Amino acid sequence: MNGIQQEWTELHSYVARRDIIFYYVGYFSQTIIAAMAEAVKLRAEHTGAVGQTRRKLFSSFIEMAQNIVHYSADLHAKEGKVTEPSMRHGAVFITQTDEHYYLHCANPVDADMAEKLRAKLEHLRSLTNEEIKSAYKEMLRAETPVDSKGAGLGFLTVARDASAPLDFEFSAPQSDGAQTFYLRATI
Amino acid sequence: MDNLFIAASASSPEVDFRFEQRQLSLKGESYPENAAQFWGEIIATLRRFLADDSADAPLTVNVALAYFNSSSTKMLFSLFDALNEKAEAGTEVILNWYHDEDDDTIFEFGQELQEDFPALVFHDHAVSNG
Repeated sequence: MNGIQQEWTELHSYVARRDIIFYYVGYFSQTIIAAMAEAVKLRAEHTGAVGQTRRKLFSSFIEMAQNIVHYSADLHAKEGKVTEPSMRHGAVFITQTDEHYYLHCANPVDADMAEKLRAKLEHLRSLTNEEIKSAYKEMLRAETPVDSKGAGLGFLTVARDASAPLDFEFSAPQSDGAQTFYLRATI
Repeated sequence: MDNLFIAASASSPEVDFRFEQRQLSLKGESYPENAAQFWGEIIATLRRFLADDSADAPLTVNVALAYFNSSSTKMLFSLFDALNEKAEAGTEVILNWYHDEDDDTIFEFGQELQEDFPALVFHDHAVSNG
């Protein structure tokens, strides 16, 4: 006996106590996202969620993970060179309670990005479901915003699929201005 | 014009455009890293075909996408825009829109397409998942 089982038991009991069904921290690339997407899909099936809930969870997971690949301030580099295809650092975890799934993601951002995100998300939080739907429809037909690497529809998509307003926080800025952005969606 | 075939990958759909047979099909999931690039090239090829095409026979488009991310959604909108223009110019364009019977999101996106692109002959197909 060298305590291996004990380590697992402790880990598993913590994971169970916090209702965690999926967790990843590290670099995000498209390949890593596709593999995780497969795992999240299986996990959601295993937990017995109905089709529509599984699809919303999957959709929100992809939007959050791709946001990390596109916008995290921590870009993977080797010997001073950015690696291709690009990888950026972040974290996701999913918890499941009796009523809901909660999808969390976190990644570092600089001060400018933090301001943009705060404005965008505060606005989104002020909208009703109907207003989210019509903002989505409007954006679908609008020109893509210049600062977007997607379609400017990511948060709207998560907000549309969520059953409560999106929650977010920022950590206190470090000396270089870097902050951690935390986002939580209730599915 | 050469057919366009792109095999499905983990995060991109199968694209099977048989121009000669006037059958265009999309099948699978779409969340590529760069949706603007992935779909941009497909739309450019489609637009070239539509511009040169003077056959006047109906075009059939079969779409069975089980999931598309937000940036793919936007690109799909512009793909259907191109087809709608062709339909407005007089070619019959039939859009077969397949989705899981309980998938409200994809069903509703189909309704959006119908609203914005009325020249397309839209057929909704709710597929039973057994």
